[in-house]
Amino acid sequence: MTSATISTSKPHAANGPSSAPNFLATLGSEWVKLASLRSTHITLGLGFVLSVATTGLVALALGSTQEDWSPDFNPTTTSMVGQIFSLIVYSVFAAMVSSREYSGGMIRLTLAATPNRTRVFLAKLFLVGGVLAVLGLVTSTAMFLIGQAVLGAYGMPTATLADSDAQRMVFGLGLATAYFPLIGVALGFLLRSTAGAITSVLGLLWLPQIFGAVVPMWWRENILNLLPSNGVDSLTVAHIEDSPAFSEPAVGALIAAAWLFGTIGAAYIAFLRRDA
Amino acid sequence: MIEVNDVTKRYGETVAVDGLSFAVKPGIVTGFLGPNGAGKTTTMRMILGLDAPTSGAVTVNGRSYRHVPAPMGEVGALLDAKAANGGHTARQHLRWIARAGGLPERRIDAVLDLVGLTEVAGRRLGGFSLGMYQRLGIAAALLGDPQTLIFDEPVNGLDPEGIRWIRSFLQGLAEEGRTILLSSHLMSEMEATADHIIVIGRGRLIADASIEEFTRRSASSHVRVVSPQASSLAPMLLRAGAGVSDEDGALIVTGVEASFVGKVAAANRFELHELSSRRASLEAAFMELTGSSQQYQASAPAGAPHQILALNGMEN
Repeated sequence: MTSATISTSKPHAANGPSSAPNFLATLGSEWVKLASLRSTHITLGLGFVLSVATTGLVALALGSTQEDWSPDFNPTTTSMVGQIFSLIVYSVFAAMVSSREYSGGMIRLTLAATPNRTRVFLAKLFLVGGVLAVLGLVTSTAMFLIGQAVLGAYGMPTATLADSDAQRMVFGLGLATAYFPLIGVALGFLLRSTAGAITSVLGLLWLPQIFGAVVPMWWRENILNLLPSNGVDSLTVAHIEDSPAFSEPAVGALIAAAWLFGTIGAAYIAFLRRDA
Repeated sequence: MIEVNDVTKRYGETVAVDGLSFAVKPGIVTGFLGPNGAGKTTTMRMILGLDAPTSGAVTVNGRSYRHVPAPMGEVGALLDAKAANGGHTARQHLRWIARAGGLPERRIDAVLDLVGLTEVAGRRLGGFSLGMYQRLGIAAALLGDPQTLIFDEPVNGLDPEGIRWIRSFLQGLAEEGRTILLSSHLMSEMEATADHIIVIGRGRLIADASIEEFTRRSASSHVRVVSPQASSLAPMLLRAGAGVSDEDGALIVTGVEASFVGKVAAANRFELHELSSRRASLEAAFMELTGSSQQYQASAPAGAPHQILALNGMEN
């Protein structure tokens, strides 16, 4: 056998990889995979436009109908009203980044090229987290600026990015935009189904809004408050919008982190162990 | 070299691969045969580290595929050609794979040219025919210019022209001295391309032999004898352990070589009008082994290999 190996092997080293591919190669590969799809640009662009347009329209509606405004009118939170749309669109996008690999069997091609599963898993998380944190900041800043511009044009109170509260909100909500999408990526790996991953991440995002109004306060405080959206909200908006429903920031941070690392951890273990 | 060492793979209650061992020898084309559901695809997935064996080990050049540092330079595989994103162009598809393998951009042009897809490199895969997908899949497997190539049913569903193209392309790769493991459920595919075949059924190894050896061993390889003293010759051959049947006045003798029949006839001074060896076609030998041929199924003795086979196993 050994002699056969030597006599028949033809060196192909010249065309092979110059060195073993590292994590950056996997990240670059996932980047090319996503960035070269037209649907990526359309989806992310749609999320951005929907958010900014919603904020603009709401500000326009407020400015043109309100003769006077209550003293606790907050121009910063008002301008963030469109965020839910980008959050939905970006979360759906992220859930598909991982789940779509399973619908057509592409995951096997991905893992044949990069058998190191940790690398593939982290590359997708980093890519989605990084791209959506940046896009989230751009979206929240754009919403803020458009919102203030429209409100200002109607002579309503406005905020500037020099205000620390406004800064905190624009920056916090912008970065937090990546939170649900990251859970979406994890759920995509975990459920291996696009429909399942999208439904689950939107469910987590929306359950408090859907049931918050109809369940007793005890439920809100003890059950719905344990959901990730409350955790995130208590970190990003609670300091402005005081409500008994929000947890203490430290508790909120703990809840948010538990969901994020819980789903990512479960997805990682499943991805390592399961057959592709 | 690919080594499969006492590998078993269970999916719940179903045993897809059952104590399978074989080695794919370097520098030749090895056909990997078995009926649909015999465990070929599962085995190939285990070679690529996609599925983990329940027990046993699969190694590529002495290592588990998951631990090969630059896998695309060692093994190229085509499992499912249609596993691609329809929104990518052919070039974009190859680009993300090349990136993952740490391969230079020029390899993309090289493999596109090799499989004849240069003209359509900028077209989206959504509009590709199956034959074009197969070419693209082969291009992807060749990106790292690996010594070892694994193809799962590469001609399945192709039109005759596509089949001819793949066949001659594989032959070209084989002539370069590459190691090729090629699966198929069609024996006729192997006759032209493979040097060696591994036959499995229900996840178990049935044969691991050169094509020549495989057809020789087959029961449908036989010796045809015409003799006026056939009625005396037949019992003697039967006593010697051969299988004997009658066909249009000729004896069809299995299990012994023509020279043996000749010796028996000469020792008894029997007159022979015809003594000829008939080699089974690969297809017939395969059918017989895998039991998909009714003709052989009816007359086969108990314990014959085909009895542990079924054609309706799970598609894995």
